[in-house]
Amino acid sequence: MTNRLFGSFARYLALGFFVAIVAYPLLLIVSTSVKDPLDVTANPFTLFSSVSLQNFVDAWTLGGFGGYFWNTVLITTLTLVGTVVLSVLAGYALARLYLPGKNIIFLLFILGLMIPFFAMMIPLFYELKAMNLLGTHAAVILPALAGATGFGVPLGVFLMRAFYMDLPEELADAARVDGAGEFQVFWRIMLPLSGPGVAVLAVLVFFQTWNVFILPLLYLPGSENQMLATGLYLFASGRTAEIELAAAGSLIMVLPVVIFFLIFQRQFIRGLTAGAFK
Amino acid sequence: MQTRTGDDATRAAAPRQKQGATGHESALRRQQMKYAILFIAPGLAVYLVFMVYPFLNTAYLSLTNWNGVAETKDFVGLANYTRMLGDGIAWKAFSNNVIWVILGTVAPVAVGLFEALLVWSGARGSLFFRTLFFLPFVLPLVVVGIVWQWIYNPLFGVINEVLDSVGLEGLSRGWLADPHTALYAVLIAAIWGASGFCFLILHASLQNVDMSTVEASMIDGANWFQRAWRIIIPQIAPQLTMVTTVTLIGGFSVFDIVFVMTGAGPGHASEVLSTYTYKTAFQQNEAGYGSALAMLITVLSLVSTVIFVRLRERQR
Repeated sequence: MTNRLFGSFARYLALGFFVAIVAYPLLLIVSTSVKDPLDVTANPFTLFSSVSLQNFVDAWTLGGFGGYFWNTVLITTLTLVGTVVLSVLAGYALARLYLPGKNIIFLLFILGLMIPFFAMMIPLFYELKAMNLLGTHAAVILPALAGATGFGVPLGVFLMRAFYMDLPEELADAARVDGAGEFQVFWRIMLPLSGPGVAVLAVLVFFQTWNVFILPLLYLPGSENQMLATGLYLFASGRTAEIELAAAGSLIMVLPVVIFFLIFQRQFIRGLTAGAFK
Repeated sequence: MQTRTGDDATRAAAPRQKQGATGHESALRRQQMKYAILFIAPGLAVYLVFMVYPFLNTAYLSLTNWNGVAETKDFVGLANYTRMLGDGIAWKAFSNNVIWVILGTVAPVAVGLFEALLVWSGARGSLFFRTLFFLPFVLPLVVVGIVWQWIYNPLFGVINEVLDSVGLEGLSRGWLADPHTALYAVLIAAIWGASGFCFLILHASLQNVDMSTVEASMIDGANWFQRAWRIIIPQIAPQLTMVTTVTLIGGFSVFDIVFVMTGAGPGHASEVLSTYTYKTAFQQNEAGYGSALAMLITVLSLVSTVIFVRLRERQR
């Protein structure tokens, strides 16, 4: 089915224009990351004038990006698991279990979705400081769970509650008639069905936590335990030389997300549409 | 199902069915309530400790002149807010945010829509275009900021090189160092990134457009603009509104890309409310005033959210 919205030639011209604008910066990152360091001084931004993979090794070791990478993996994984577990539990309870006042609790969670991070930023710093958590992984994980990235328990509860409310009640009722206790109903019936909802939530949380910048900037002073986004900034800011390492570091940061996106495209899109409905 | 041969504990925990409906129901409710509390408590606890309590604290701090280290926090009433009204930098930051909200919402949506319409035919190479046009959004803003810094580089960046090569050297400049262009230069980089998101959503929504209506209008002789405006866009209106809302609400909290590309400089040329809040609270150690600024950001975000949600509901 050809779309005759635009004439063919005009369409390809316009497409070419957008492709150039979108692709150029992407190519620039890749090109700079594989460029020989000597070439960088001479022709910093000529595309693909030389190819060398040494930059990735150097960025990983000398640039500290290896350390940033593993910190990011650790923090993202813990945040992901924590958010999913807490959201599944609370979401299920709010959707399916009897509790007077549970709608007020749900409303409380929703309010958290509307408040920007800056409304918590300052006292959180002193709170974490008082708990001696500044500079530790927990300094990012705990606020992230609470929703500092916008994609924590509040959003998770919202999504999982909606998900569980959509599940048919008959299976659970049948189990109860058979004598199953509430925990059995949850553990053996509802939980195994949670896959699709959890997948969407997991994709969103992974994406946002992996890329988080301001949380580590504030609560992980310096480069110890630092994450990729902030580490990259600390490495690149004020540095006019060694941009090939910054580019390589950028790719180290970006590639996992791109690969993840290519594999989980459908969940990604579903997640973005659902998450954006808050 | 294993419940029939389940162990004694399960049988004991199951609500008895001998009694009348009320007895059975209240036993069930009690059991459910027990688990409800158990299940909700951990998530609620984290949320209360690390989000609700700090938020209430910000509201409180905004009424003090605390500097972050002093033992006591002196209550100063609305002094911070009056100070904000007279603070030239705060006004500059606010106006920058307004510019950002307007341009930074219209442009990515328009670009995303245009790209989606261009790619819409579903013909050759659609997967390639779909992936390519979405990629800018996948990049973290730090990376977007850094690569666009290279593009804006006064000596070697591609923009000045292109300008020089076509004889427009007069236009070449340090785009991020010039107070008149700094904010817009950062904004363009942000638009480049954000349009990826708009493109993806709108491209997906275009799949649901009824082609027969488009073809009918073509037979009636409508040109491309009329077809887009009158036939296609109304059919994707919900997603269009959603995409606009999401982009717009983020406009008052924009931080990462401004911070990375210009540090809100030169001077305060590209200052936005979030960077100003950050500097005030953490570099100038004025936790009280910074909290007041943070409350301002919150109010602005909330107001724009409410306005847009109302608009969306009116559409339905």
